[in-house]
Parts: sequence; structure tokens; C-alpha cells
Amino acid sequence: MSSAVREIDNTLDVPGQRAALITGGHDLGSLTDVACAPWEAPRPPRAWYIAFGLSLALLAVLGAMIGYLVLNGVGVWGLNNPTGWAFDITNFVFWVGIGHAGTLISAILFLFRQKWRTSINRFAEAMTIFAVVCAGVFPGIHVGRIWLAYWLAPLPNQMAMWPNFRSPLLWDVFAVGTYATVSMLFWYVGMIPDLATFRDRARSKWKQVVYGLLALGWTGSSRHWHRFERAYLILAALATPLVLSVHSVVSFDFAVSQLPGWHTTIFPPYFVAGAIFGGFAMVLTLAIPARELFGLKNIITPRHLDNMCKITLLTGSIVGYAYLLEFFTAWYSGNPYESFVFKARALGPYAWAYWTMIGCNVVAPQLFWFKAFRTRVWLILLVVMCVNIGMWFERFVIIVTSLSQDFLPSSWDYFRPTWVDLLTLAGSFGLFFTLFLLFCRYLPMVAMAEVKTVLPLTDPRAHPHPHVPATRAFDYNPDEFDPAATSNPRDAREERP
Amino acid sequence: MNHAPDMSKDVRPIATGRAAFCAAVVGALGLAAGVLFGLRDGWDVFFRSYLLNYTYVLSLALGALFFVMLQHLVRAGWSVSLRRLAELVAGTLPLLAVLFLPLLVPLLAGMPGVWEWASAEAVAHDASGLLRHKQPYLNVPFFIVRCVVCFAVWVGLARYFVRRSVAQDATGDVQLTVRMQWWSAPGMLLYGLTVTFFAIDALMSLNPHWYSTIFGVYFFSGSLVGFFALLALLVYFVQRAGRLTHAVTVEHYHDVGKLAFGFVVFWAYIAFSQYLLIWYANLPEETVWYQPRQGDAWWTGVSLLLLLGHFVAPFAALLSRWPKRRKGTLACAGAWLLFMHWLDLYYLVIPRAHGHGHEPAAPLHLTDVALLAGLAGVCVAAILRAMARQALLPERDPRLNEALSFENI
Amino acid sequence: MNGASPANAGGPQRPGTGRGGPVLRGLLVEFDSPGALITAAERVRDAGYTRWDTHSPFPVHGIDAAMGIRPTRLPWIVLALGVIGCITGLALQWWTNAADARHFPWVPVHLQGYTFHVSGKPLFSLPANIPVIFEMTVLLAALGAVVGMLAMNNLPLHHRPLLALTRFKRATCDRFFVYVDAADPRFDPAGTPEFLATLGAAAIEPVEEVVDSGRLPRGLTIAGLFIVCLALLPPLLAAKARVSKSEQPRFNIIADMDNQERFKAQQAHALFADGRASRPPVAGTLARGDLRGDPHFYEGRVAGEFAATFPPQVQITEGSIRRGQQRFNIYCAPCHGLGGAGDGIVAQRALNLDTPGWVAPTSLLDPLVVERPVGHLFNTITNGIRTMPPYGDQIAEMDRWAIIAYVRTLERSQNARLEDVPAELRSELR
Repeated sequence: MSSAVREIDNTLDVPGQRAALITGGHDLGSLTDVACAPWEAPRPPRAWYIAFGLSLALLAVLGAMIGYLVLNGVGVWGLNNPTGWAFDITNFVFWVGIGHAGTLISAILFLFRQKWRTSINRFAEAMTIFAVVCAGVFPGIHVGRIWLAYWLAPLPNQMAMWPNFRSPLLWDVFAVGTYATVSMLFWYVGMIPDLATFRDRARSKWKQVVYGLLALGWTGSSRHWHRFERAYLILAALATPLVLSVHSVVSFDFAVSQLPGWHTTIFPPYFVAGAIFGGFAMVLTLAIPARELFGLKNIITPRHLDNMCKITLLTGSIVGYAYLLEFFTAWYSGNPYESFVFKARALGPYAWAYWTMIGCNVVAPQLFWFKAFRTRVWLILLVVMCVNIGMWFERFVIIVTSLSQDFLPSSWDYFRPTWVDLLTLAGSFGLFFTLFLLFCRYLPMVAMAEVKTVLPLTDPRAHPHPHVPATRAFDYNPDEFDPAATSNPRDAREERP
Repeated sequence: MNHAPDMSKDVRPIATGRAAFCAAVVGALGLAAGVLFGLRDGWDVFFRSYLLNYTYVLSLALGALFFVMLQHLVRAGWSVSLRRLAELVAGTLPLLAVLFLPLLVPLLAGMPGVWEWASAEAVAHDASGLLRHKQPYLNVPFFIVRCVVCFAVWVGLARYFVRRSVAQDATGDVQLTVRMQWWSAPGMLLYGLTVTFFAIDALMSLNPHWYSTIFGVYFFSGSLVGFFALLALLVYFVQRAGRLTHAVTVEHYHDVGKLAFGFVVFWAYIAFSQYLLIWYANLPEETVWYQPRQGDAWWTGVSLLLLLGHFVAPFAALLSRWPKRRKGTLACAGAWLLFMHWLDLYYLVIPRAHGHGHEPAAPLHLTDVALLAGLAGVCVAAILRAMARQALLPERDPRLNEALSFENI
Repeated sequence: MNGASPANAGGPQRPGTGRGGPVLRGLLVEFDSPGALITAAERVRDAGYTRWDTHSPFPVHGIDAAMGIRPTRLPWIVLALGVIGCITGLALQWWTNAADARHFPWVPVHLQGYTFHVSGKPLFSLPANIPVIFEMTVLLAALGAVVGMLAMNNLPLHHRPLLALTRFKRATCDRFFVYVDAADPRFDPAGTPEFLATLGAAAIEPVEEVVDSGRLPRGLTIAGLFIVCLALLPPLLAAKARVSKSEQPRFNIIADMDNQERFKAQQAHALFADGRASRPPVAGTLARGDLRGDPHFYEGRVAGEFAATFPPQVQITEGSIRRGQQRFNIYCAPCHGLGGAGDGIVAQRALNLDTPGWVAPTSLLDPLVVERPVGHLFNTITNGIRTMPPYGDQIAEMDRWAIIAYVRTLERSQNARLEDVPAELRSELR
């Protein structure tokens, strides 16, 4: 399917001339054809079947592990007395964090008028929702008696008891619940016009009915578009502080306590940056195979990958900044417990996890300073895989090192995961990828209506800055910059008349 | 989109000779008055007040430097017509480096100045032993080294970006844009680290027993609020003076308003994160910082005024679309936020932990007003002087066309 | 597709030609670029049409002005719902965690708030309430934005004559349309097609609808009613269960720890002759360490009367009195106060809250207590008195005696004379 697509480097542009975001010279019709192709193909590519089979198997493992847990209790995990949270909460924070990149792309980049977001926002949002689903599993099974998980919600009961609203764990219920709801709304609202496209292109009767129901009778009326755009802008404006709040609230789970290594004021923004960092790594992990597999190379172009790598570099550097400040403050505070915990992280029993985290989260993304690493898909995949691993270990290091060695040395204990822990983590990936692969096949993976607005031919006004064909970008490369060829900047210091 | 005939007037430097002279006179009088009040109230009060007002003007220039680098980093088109104004503000950084020197005088003379840790006596008598613990970091020579590094970075970055931009006015060389884009990324890295450690050194160490990992971000967020407020005011007055009337459209006001609004919310988020975590854990070594700030009626009032004036009121005022698109309204909001940013720094700098034996007689001195007028006057004079000498628009920036034609949704 | 001639496309159809026949609903004009659509829209607007619309696969920049669409009021809906969410979040937290149920006796008990103290925070702690307030605000505002947008757009609405047109299927792909409704007051079956033909359209097509009775098929109605009735069953069953009583034990889907394989105290069992499940100790035996043969030491009694002296095992030394002070401060001082005057922190708080049924703790300095024999005090500590619970299980005998020695010390210190102070320390008194 993808063999005909030619790769064009559009990562460079001459200042003042924006490189094309969609390559391949598409018009509205051909763009719709390309975007609908994964859905219209009689059957998905072979790789899809293999991946789906693997994901289903892992999903079955997750089901089995949850069943085993319910029948036997949380004792089947490796939790011990000081370490009451380990894989469960690590996985929860990891998955919630993954979701953040989707909202960043769909909401924050929208507010910043970053048009390149249109190519990737739909499946990044889908990734958000599936990641939140995976995240939601873990607090649910972590409560032990999962049939009573509804006690988390503020429901009146016969004991006249209510949840404790001063607990950050309850804030989590509200934050993650709101986040899941608003992400779903955002995703679905944005999808309505594309579902209408599917409805109008569907050949079989049942597809017409199903997609017709989902499209709500959308006709592309300009009066509708007007309110639609306003609603979309408002949702973006609401989702922006929301996404910041979600991981901030998650960080409060740790930071409001007095445990050394958990209680530090930079936690909220640091968690948010880390979440976006890990999320972008996952977006790249998904985008690179998806564009290969479904022939979307003209829509998700090297420029998109390049931009995402740059954001990964930025957020990775912010995470490194937070690590640095935490270490500095652990010493600066003069608090012996703080400095102990940080020494224990770097040199103690979990040093292996700590240095894995540093290597993957701080060192690996620095490779993105080099353009070679941002343009070759295998190198990108290598780095983002490191980041995926590193961000999981970051949560593990935060949670387990602080818990396993707290104030009372007599109760220290080393946490070892059991096979149930490991298989549950693996199974959560099965859930995630099963949902994602189904989405790729059955829902509009590209936000067609939005991508169309990026095409130069769709702007009714004459554009003051011409869109140049991407190939011209090669005319210009700062690495080959020759100062002699242009006028000397120093000449300009003379006073203007 | 042919704006050529109007643009020529837009970019012409403003004859600001008289205004610059007046600002300089105000500045000189303010500084002199500050010294006189200092003689009356004591050097302790003088230096605290100097630090407060100095960090105020410095934070605005640092915000401007951030803005300039950010626009290059993200290859922004919309902001080109505003960038020169930010460059003018960032251009005061060399002057500000000189104005920092008075704060070093007491340290070099062996007096404690405003920083308790600089006094050998205080370190020796510190019952907690924390000052001794922190001496490898908090000592005068290392402090001066760090300050030299910070100012070298800022002055270097400011000169680099301002000079390249001005040079482009003459040559129209796109390579300059590319160069600035390239340097903006490492520049940001250096900027983040220097601003953080400067905030820790100059402001957080005023209470050397206290610590907060978010402090650098707090200072940064407030600086950006101050800068966007200043930018709104600056562009308003420049347009009143008949410049940039075509290059800067209502869409730019809208965007500056959005950015100011965004950073107001960001500031509140950072301030709340710090407050909630310290309030919740309730550890004495951390609450010690809030104790003088909520201990008496005056400082409780200042805290509440910050909450209302630095967050609630501007949030409500800038939430809607129309105030951001009305030039006068936005300029008023800018003036208010500039005052609030000063109050924020006042809240950071002036209160001290109780029981150290040097309670100031009054929380607000005439010195504060005099030195604010002095330092702000000097900087405004420098900006006005620079305005008279160079174009107010990077008129040959390759992305200027985008800035002239964009529209908000 | 573009072959339809504009002239004969809008043939003279009459609206309302009777049941079952096709009715003209409007005219659809096709364009192939957004620029052409905008030009056409401006002309239709200027021609004075009011019931018309344009359709495009994406939001066309500038179409709002070309059609004369006024800004939507949606932001106001969002603002209102955001404010409601904010207030709801605050009220929810105040009501459930901080409102004192005693002031709202008329509220059903299930809905009453529940005041409980957590980590020393005030019942109503605004900083801790902000996250939930924020989330509620965003949640309701976002719902308002989506539901408001759909409602104002009159969505979902699946029955649309336009959607039946093959030509219109490209409205979500790559074509642009102007649609003029036949219900427009300016619509003229002859003039309007002519006017539309001048717009430079690629094609014009009438939009017709076959009008049917408008009634739902009978089978569908019955099926719908049946599903609604079926859906009502579970809530009805639950409601019935809430108000009825049953002799049967509770039905446990998941056993939890409700039914455990053990015998509770006083339960019967047929295995033993006496019919009791729990077994008394074998007659004439005692568990190890349960022999308490010395009533003076273990009960504070001598010959059945309260002992007036400490038992011989108890050595009154400074060490034992300090031990007594430590135990006293742990177990007794919360109610009786550090000085024994009956003003402990629990007592003060109970007094402040005006707790009903509260009996103030006795002052240990009261002459009544001072004159009581030590055995009486020992008995009180061991078995409790009035609302004071027994402490025999928590405080070992030796410690109880040490506490009594400390209480005696306290009593003496409160009624001390100058002679009680050692001579060398009297100079320190002021």
C-alpha cells in the first residue's frame, strides 16, 4: 500500500517561506482517498494482523492476571510492608502520562496555531484515551476489593459516609475522570466531520448505518462549522489547563506527603513535563509504524517527526532540569532525610533503576540535538524506545526508592516484582495496542477536515507568503552555510541614516 | 498586501530626546533620593529596597530576552513586528549588569548586606547549623562567580540577538535569521539554568534556611507576566507616538493579551503548587517562609491582594476576547499587571523571618518608591535612547509578511 | 457529474403536491473551490435570502462574513456552566466534608455530610478543595461546550433530504455547496434557479423529498416501548428491595468477609454436651501467667477492703515516680490534665463542643480523691468508673501503682507547704 509513496525531506525551510506540511501534491479528493485508504482497504496489511494477534494475546494475559488477582488478593503482587505502592501505581502514572502528549498536540498546539498538529492530532488523541483506559485499570485493581471501587465516587450510602475531599487520591478520581471525559468529547467532536466522510463513502449498508449514526447527521453546514470551530477552540482552551492539572494532581499524590523524595515543590510542573515527554515518545513510537503501514508518509512527513523530536528534546531537558534541582535542593536543604534518599537513589540498592532512568531520560534525548537523529526513523525509534523505558523507570524510582527506605531503617525492605506484576504490566500494553489497532482500522486515523485546511489551495485568500514546494528546501541548509556568500553582518553595525 | 508607503513611517526611530532626558533626570533624582533615605533609614533598608527594585527591572529585561529567543526558537512569524520592542527591553541587560554592582559593595566590604549568609557572625551563631552546611555554596566568592557567569550569559545573549536583528535591517540577510534560530536553542538552555540559579542566589537565599525546588520557575513565571504587561504598554505608547501603526494590528494586541493571560494563569499554577504542597505537609522548615508573609495584617493583606490582583482580577478581565482586542483596555491591564509584578517581588524580597533581631520599622519605605523611580527611570531612559537610534521594526525580517497578515481564530 | 444543465435543473416543481409524491425542498448548487463558494455566498446574502446555507468539507476561512453569520452565543453557555461547575465543586466538598449534620436534621441521613478530621487540616480547607473545584469547572464547561454546540446546531438529526443526494456525498470530501431552502420567503421556483445559475456554479440540482406519513412503523413503536419497560425493571426491583424486609440472609455476590468459617462467642454447637461452641477452661486449671494470687497487688484489696497502703512489691523511688509520670501523661493526662485538675485537652474540647452526655473528668486534686485509699484508685484505673473506660488491659499492674504514686505526688505538690521543699532549694523559690 505504501510502496508508491516517495519520501520528501521537508524539514528545512528558508526563513519567510514555509515548507509544505503535506507533501505529494495532494488536492482535496486525493487527500481524502489517502486518509480513508486504511479504512477502505478490503483487508488491513499483514503486519496489522500480526500486531493485532499479539495484542489480543497480551490482552488475554491482562484479563487472566486481573482474574487471578481478584481471586487471590493483592498478595500476589510483590508489595511488602514499606513498599505499599509499586508496579500498580507506577503503571498508573506511566499510562496517564502517556496520554498527555495527545492533549498537548490537540489542544495546546492548536492554541499556538501550530498547523502541523493536524496530521497527527487524531491518533494522538486516540492514544490519549486508550492510555487513560489503561491507567484507569490500575487504581481500580489496586484497591483490592475491586467490586467496591465505586466507593471512590462521592455517592451517598447507608453509612452517611463520604469520600475525604482533602485527600489527593480523591482529587485523582476527579482529575482523571474529568480528563477521560473531556478527552473523549474532544476526540469525538473533532471526529464528527470525518465520520460523516466515512458515512458518505461507505459502500455497505451496515457501515452507512453505523457511521451515519456516529456522524449525527453532519452536513458540513457553514452555520454548523461556525459553532463547531468555536466549541473546538473552547474545548482546547479548557483542555490546556486540564492537562496541566491532571499530572499535577497525580504528582500531589506523592508531593503532599512528608516522605523524602516525594515532598518537593517542583513536582507538579516536573510531572507535567515528564508526562508530555513520555507521551511524545509514545506518539512517535506509534506514528512511525503507522505512517509506513498505512501509506501516510505524505501526511505525517519528516517535518512532523522532526518537530516531535524537538519537543521530546525540550521536555526531556526540562525533566533533566528537575532532576538537577531535586539533587541540588536535597543537599541545599540540609535535611538529612532528603539527602539520604537522593544518595540512596544514585548509589543504593535501586541504583540500577536510577541510572537506567538517567540514561534513557536525560542522555538519550540529547541525541536529538543532531539532525541525523531526528530524520532517520530507525534512530528516532531507538531514542524514543529508550524514553518509553526511561519514563516508566522514572515513576518506579520515585515510588519505590522513597517507600522502600523511609524514616525507619528497621522496616526497610527491597521490592521484588512477582511474575503477576510483570505480566500485568505486559498485559496493559496488550489492552493499549488492541484498542489502538482497532482504531486504526475502523475510525478516521487522520483528521481529514483539519488537514484540508492546511493545504495551500484551500485558503480562499491570496496568500502573502508563498508555499514553496518542499524540494526547494534543499536549496538552503544552515550546515552548509557559507558566510562569504552573503553580506557580512558586521557591516550592518553602521548607523542607519 | 502592500504596506510599503505606510511602513516607512512605521519604522522610523522616534525622536525621544526630551523624554529620555526626563526619564534620566527622574532616574538620577530617584537614586539620589534613595541614597538620602538610605542614610536616614539605614543601609539595611536601602539595600533590601535596591534588591527589590533591581530584580524588578531585571526580571522585565530577562522576560524580554526569553521572548526574543523563543520567537527565534519556534520560527514564529506573527511576532516579528513586536520583536524589536522586546529587543529594546532586552538591550538594557548590559546596563543592568552595571546596576547590579552596588549590591556587591557591602559583600566586598565585608558587610552582610541583604544576605544573612554573607555574614560570618550569622553563620557562626546559627543554631540550626544550616548556614554552615550551605557555606560551600552560599559564600561571597562563589556567589560573585555565579553572578558573573549569569550576567555574562545574559549580556552575551542579549547583544547577540539584538545586534544580529539590527544588522538585518541594513542587509536583509536571511542567514542572520538562521543563525539566530540556531543559537536560540542552546541559548534557552543557558537561560533556564542561569535564571534559576540567580533566583535562588539573589532571592531564595534571603531566607537561607528555606528552600523550594520550584522557586526558579516561580520567578520566571512572574517575570513573563511582567514582560507581557510591559509589552502591551510599550506597543500602546509607540502607536500613540505614530509608529508601528500598520505593522502592529489588533491581532497582535490579541496575542499579547493571550500570552499575558496565559502567564497569569501559569504564575498562579506555580504559586499554588508551591503553596499547596507546603501548606499540606506543614513542615516547620518550609512553613517558615510563609509565616512572616501571613503573620500580620499588612502581609496577609499583601498576600490576598496578590491572589486577587495578580490572578483573579486579570483572569476575569482577560478571559474574554474583546478586552484583548481593545488597545486601551489591554494597556490598562498591562499597567495593572506591571504593578502586580512589582508587588509580587515585594512579597518575595521584603518580609523576613521573625526573631532575627532586625525587624524593619515599617514594611514600606520611601526608599522603595525612590529607588523604583530611580532604577525604572534609568532603564526607561536607556530604552528611549535606543529607540531614537534604531528602527522600531525588524523591517527586513523574512517573516515580516506573516506578521502583517495573520488573523486569530 | 457536472453535466446537468443549470437551466433545466430547477424544474418547476410545486411544493406540497400531495402525500407520497416528491416535494421540492430546495436547490443545491455545487462549486469546486472555496473561493468560488465565498463569492457565491456573498451574492446569495446580498440577494436577501435568509433560509439558506453553504456546505463544505472543512471550515472555509471568511465564510462567516460572506454569509453574514453572527458570532455564536456558545461562550456564554460555557461560562454559565463553568460557574455552575465551580459552585457545585465547592458546595459538594463543603457539604460532604465540612457541614455539621446536626444543623440540618431535616436532610435524610444518607445525604447528610460527614465531618471528619484528616491530618490536622481544618474541616473546610480551601487550598485542598481547589483541585476538585477546578476539575468540576472544566468538566461542566466542556460538557456545556459540546452539548451546547450540538443543540444549537440541531444535531443529531439524521433525516435530511440533502443526505439522500449522491452529489452531496462529496460535501464531506472535496466539493462546496450552496443550498437555498424552498421555505425561504424570497424563494421563487422560477426566479431562484435563474439567479443561482448566474453564480458560476459547476452544477445545480433540486433537492426533493418523498413525503411519507411521518409516523414510525408500528413494529418499531412496540419494540421501543418494550425496551423501555424492560429497562425500568431493574430500578423497580432495586426500589422494592430498598423498602421491603426479608427473613433470608443477604445475598452476597462476592463473599468478602461476611461469612467466615469460625464460631462466634455464645454460638451453639451440637458437638459438645453443653451445646456451646466455645469451650470454657478445664475445671481447676489456669493459663500460664493468669495466676493472680495476691489481691493486694492485683486488685488493690486487703481482706476485701480497698488497701490504704502500697503493696510490698512496689518500691516508691524517684525512678518509679518518673515512670508513673510518664504513664500518667500518656494515659490519664488527655482527660485529667497534666496537673490532674480534670482539664485535659479532651475535656476542654468536649466542653467547647458542648457534647451531650459528657461527664467531666474528676479533678484528682479534689479532697475526695486525696482521701481515697490507694487501693480505690487502683480499682478505678483497672475497671473504670462512670464514663471512664477500664485501663486494666492497657497498663500493667506495676505501672498502675506507679501512676498512683505519681498522682499522690501531684496532690501533694498542689497542697504543699514551705516545709515540704528541701531546705537547700528554698532559696530558689520566689
